[in-house]
Amino acid sequence: MTPETATSTLPADTTRGLAAANCHEDGSAPQAPAGARVVALAGAPNVGKSTLFNALTGARRTVGNWPGTTVEVGRGAWALPGEQVSLVDLPGAYSLDPMSPDEELTRDLLLAADPAARPGAVVVIASAAHLARSLYLVAQVRETTLPVVVVLTMIDVAARRGIEIDTAALERALGCPVVSVDPRRRRGHEDLDRVVLAALDAGPATPRVDPARVRVQPCGCRGCTADAPCSCCPHDLVEPALDGEHTAYELERADERFAWIERAVTAGVTARADVRQTWTDRIDRWVTAPVIGPLIFLAVMWAVFQVTTVVAAPLQDGLDQLVSGPVSAAVSAGLGAIGLGGGLIEGFLVNGLIAGVGMVLTFVPLMGLMFLLIAVLEDSGYMARAAVVTDRLMGRLGLPGRAFLPLVVGFGCNVPAISATRILPNARHRILTSLLVPFTSCSARLTVFVLLATTFFPERAGTVVFAMYLTSILLVVLIGLLLRSTLWRAVGADPLVIDLPPYQRPTARLSLSVMWLRLKGFLRTAGGIIVATVCVVWLLQMIPGGGGGTFGAVPVEDSLYAAVSRFVAPVLAPAGFGDWQAVSALVVGFIAKEAVISSWAQTYALAEPASERQPGALGQHLLATFESSSGGHAGVAVVAFMVFLLAYTPCVATISAQKREIGVRWTALGLVLGLVVAWVLAVLVFQVGRLIW
Amino acid sequence: MSGPLTAVLKAFGAGVHSVDEVVVRTGLSRDVVDAAIGHLVRAGRLESRELAIGCPDGGCGSCASGQVDGSAGCGASGPSERRSGPVLVTLSLRRPH
Repeated sequence: MTPETATSTLPADTTRGLAAANCHEDGSAPQAPAGARVVALAGAPNVGKSTLFNALTGARRTVGNWPGTTVEVGRGAWALPGEQVSLVDLPGAYSLDPMSPDEELTRDLLLAADPAARPGAVVVIASAAHLARSLYLVAQVRETTLPVVVVLTMIDVAARRGIEIDTAALERALGCPVVSVDPRRRRGHEDLDRVVLAALDAGPATPRVDPARVRVQPCGCRGCTADAPCSCCPHDLVEPALDGEHTAYELERADERFAWIERAVTAGVTARADVRQTWTDRIDRWVTAPVIGPLIFLAVMWAVFQVTTVVAAPLQDGLDQLVSGPVSAAVSAGLGAIGLGGGLIEGFLVNGLIAGVGMVLTFVPLMGLMFLLIAVLEDSGYMARAAVVTDRLMGRLGLPGRAFLPLVVGFGCNVPAISATRILPNARHRILTSLLVPFTSCSARLTVFVLLATTFFPERAGTVVFAMYLTSILLVVLIGLLLRSTLWRAVGADPLVIDLPPYQRPTARLSLSVMWLRLKGFLRTAGGIIVATVCVVWLLQMIPGGGGGTFGAVPVEDSLYAAVSRFVAPVLAPAGFGDWQAVSALVVGFIAKEAVISSWAQTYALAEPASERQPGALGQHLLATFESSSGGHAGVAVVAFMVFLLAYTPCVATISAQKREIGVRWTALGLVLGLVVAWVLAVLVFQVGRLIW
Repeated sequence: MSGPLTAVLKAFGAGVHSVDEVVVRTGLSRDVVDAAIGHLVRAGRLESRELAIGCPDGGCGSCASGQVDGSAGCGASGPSERRSGPVLVTLSLRRPH
């Protein structure tokens, strides 16, 4: 015969069990005859349950290798020797505890209130490659009177991993028949047919009982006691009243089941000692080692920044030439042709939007390359190892282990990192971590670091950017220790376990897709912020700053923009960059770091006529500014500037996120802390640096 | 009673840093430890969270993986069913319902 299947999304009344499942038949699809005995097919997701169902019934149900494939109840006729039974494919479930809708449905169908509506036997599929994971369901079904047959699948996968299963020993340990099958090659089906038929004929099974739940009442014959009862002593099962969904009693029951599972696995499974160490194990011996591991991590990150800056540099130069050359000239010529040249409109478009936005656009290849490299590292599984290495370091320094996650997110963007502190159950940990997140170097700061590093240290740009990231990590650790030793001495450690996935070859599709995802997010946000900031900065640069002139006809150095920056500049003079042009970028950077470069580009673009502008001129202007403000120590001053940029307030969006998560008081403390740390470090770097450099 | 689940929870409490360390500390097989952790995560006694880095500027609202309400869709700020990246398994105290 050719069995067909029908499916139902949910039985109308699960309390009536499988017999009540109202399947939507397709008219011509023959089912098992009315009154046929029912066999339920159960098992965890992703163990080959649907594949076996198809093999047994000849059905064409959807088969996939991802968890949760079976989301409906499938039904089909299964031809056993001399009898046709109704095979019901239950939703994937790890247990009969109602932890998910699938498990709830499976439990309701198997343990229907009416015993007559329950299946005649339950076939539980277990993956030989992950046997323990599949046996919890077996343990629970064995506690009922339902006859159970365990079917082992994925024997070949287990064999490749050096796992050998002694079916007979496992059968003894589980107290139910165990059959190995290979549904894809249709092996073991005869054995399964025979065993299931025998289970159906045998009737209700003797439930497995947790010895700890058995209360014996000694009958007194032959002097039997509770510890040494005789066979005729009455036995009662102790079932304490549950006081909640997850009680200590439930853990105790689950623990007993796992002890039973562990005994079964020990009895029936042998792992061959001659299995070759996997590549993952070999590599992990080095990359997660306590001393070598951090060094490898640093080397990998250095390589990422080196490759990023070296490879992206020619592309960046090309875009710079395009924007500051033909694009600016074409717009100027176009505006001149329609009579708008030389005025405010040309100034806004060419010196504002094109200079500002165009300069940031030149960083697209660089950001794209860095996102791609990070995506490749993530996809390969290496970043998980980096997490182990970094977490171990934080643990040794006494910082909360789980704070690692938001801090890692912070290296992308500080705003979601602050939101991610919600994962910390301890309020003090949340506040501490929220105060540390702004010290992680977000990707917006990267563009400024790259511009300054390539301008001032062209030969060692990658190393300089890497050093800034290293400084960021050091700041997080040191500030964390400082806060812990002053404000929160009582904060305890929080254990963190990292589950390492095996290494895999990165896929181009996934890596490119992740890169595009992040690049698009960067461009979308940066684009909006930059255009808005460019407009405000341009407006401020058009307004006279008290030294005479009229709107739109004032030199940029006499504008309100310059006046505000000059007011702040003396504070930063000890750090070697007390020039209004350098400080103006920091003022704008308080709003958003994405706008730092665009504001510089605007400022310097206004200072020279468009006709005389040269590609790469921004770097030359910056060189001159820092040379003049530092008294000839431009290199040291720019390092001090980068340290300041790294440590002070990331952006107003971060402040807003902090206020939402930890309140005004702590946000204010964080703001002051950032500014003080940034100033002290920048001054220290410059004052010490100029003595030795 | 002190079975595999209790042993795994104790290992977490002792500050282990990897599942391999849990295996060594408990003396259980890797398969049983994996199953025990999976059960404790489903039961809500342990929390499994994906590691996410390189978030776009502007946060989850500007990320293509983000949810409509602006929250994370990748597990960066909450448990995720999709296990696409390395997984951090963190010990968390169960809160009463």
